[in-house]
Amino acid sequence: MKGIWWKLLGLLLVLFSLVFGMLGPVQRLPILNETIRVLYYHVPMWFAMVALMLTSLIYSLKALNTNNLAQDSYAFEAAKTGFFLASIGLATGMVWARFTWGAFWVNDPKLNGTAVTMLIYLAYFVLRNSVEDPFKRIRLAGVYNIFAFVMMIVFIGILPRLTDSLHPGNGGNPGFNKYDLNSDMRPVFYSAVIGWILIGLWLTNLRVRYKNLKEKHEQV
Amino acid sequence: MIEQIYQIVKLNFRLEWQERQSYFSILIYILSSVYLSYLVFSDVISAETWNAFFWVIFIFSAVQAAYRSFHYEADQRFLLYYGMVKPENLVLGKIIYNFLYLYATGLFTALVFTFLMGNEIHSLGAFLFILLLASLGFSAILTFVAGISAKASNNPALPAILSIPLLYPQLISLSRVSLRSLTGFSWEVNAPLLIVLALLSLVSLLLSFLLFPYLWRD
Repeated sequence: MKGIWWKLLGLLLVLFSLVFGMLGPVQRLPILNETIRVLYYHVPMWFAMVALMLTSLIYSLKALNTNNLAQDSYAFEAAKTGFFLASIGLATGMVWARFTWGAFWVNDPKLNGTAVTMLIYLAYFVLRNSVEDPFKRIRLAGVYNIFAFVMMIVFIGILPRLTDSLHPGNGGNPGFNKYDLNSDMRPVFYSAVIGWILIGLWLTNLRVRYKNLKEKHEQV
Repeated sequence: MIEQIYQIVKLNFRLEWQERQSYFSILIYILSSVYLSYLVFSDVISAETWNAFFWVIFIFSAVQAAYRSFHYEADQRFLLYYGMVKPENLVLGKIIYNFLYLYATGLFTALVFTFLMGNEIHSLGAFLFILLLASLGFSAILTFVAGISAKASNNPALPAILSIPLLYPQLISLSRVSLRSLTGFSWEVNAPLLIVLALLSLVSLLLSFLLFPYLWRD
């Protein structure tokens, strides 16, 4: 994406969701009460993470086909940004869980999925660092990235649906599904999702440019 | 194609048999880890702990068994293979070899478990079938990861780091369904989980098969 408009748009949407997430009206649901506002700070991180990992996958596929080092480093930085967003999502989720479930960590299929996804991507980072030859790294890391993405989709998309989760909207818990989310909350939520995806892409872009400049500087 | 795959499987058995210590080291690995859990946990063995220990020990011995898959190809032999064997055939041959190897490993682990910790298996047929599905999915992923780590470096922790997170989806479903085979099994009730497991194995097989040629070319 060229130009500055999408960066500004992302910034505006995130600012809007941050401010109106705190000030806007929400409905009252049992147990959740005001903590329902975590919807704006927790759930968009997972949407953005999946979007960033998808970006990483696409760049890995491109790099595998063209042997292009620039695309490979874009795939790496996108995965790193996705990992960063997942850490924020985990942190906000843990704070919320402490107040509604009573513990920072419980044995829940979605939490397991997140933990495993983060472990898989950590393994991806370790793999990248243990290969010296950059062209070999394109292939090894690229194929592992494809494997990682498929397993992530299995873990966060398929396995939690086979069992009940403690999460709102699952297994009879009140929550964020289409019947509960009212029209006051929807605009803020959607703008947070789109805003964080754009911010994530911008962050990736900045990291890639920074790395390129650093490499140039080292060569000089 | 089938002839070539058969030759690869046969060659692998012959090469490994020449260096028998790798088979024996896996057997000793299993024996000592099962005995360790027997010493520490023999008082609290129930169907649940039996199941948990079995899968933990099986996953680690499977990683140990499979990570040397491309040990022989790691240096000069690579060059020979590039010209002679299509990578698709090579990976299928290795997966079949590892599948047989892992299934034997799993059976041996189950045998040692029943000997030391008592027979907790209620429906043997179901348990053996689950072990079969497990070996299939594990061999697909572990063979692929062994290919990556053979190419990557000599980092000894790499196979475990790369493969264990990829095995979690299968392991979670496996331990749940195998616990039911220990306590009383109904094929109708567990059919969805078994289908999920079979699909997971299939996905892993397909991915290994499709991605391996990218890994292999230099």
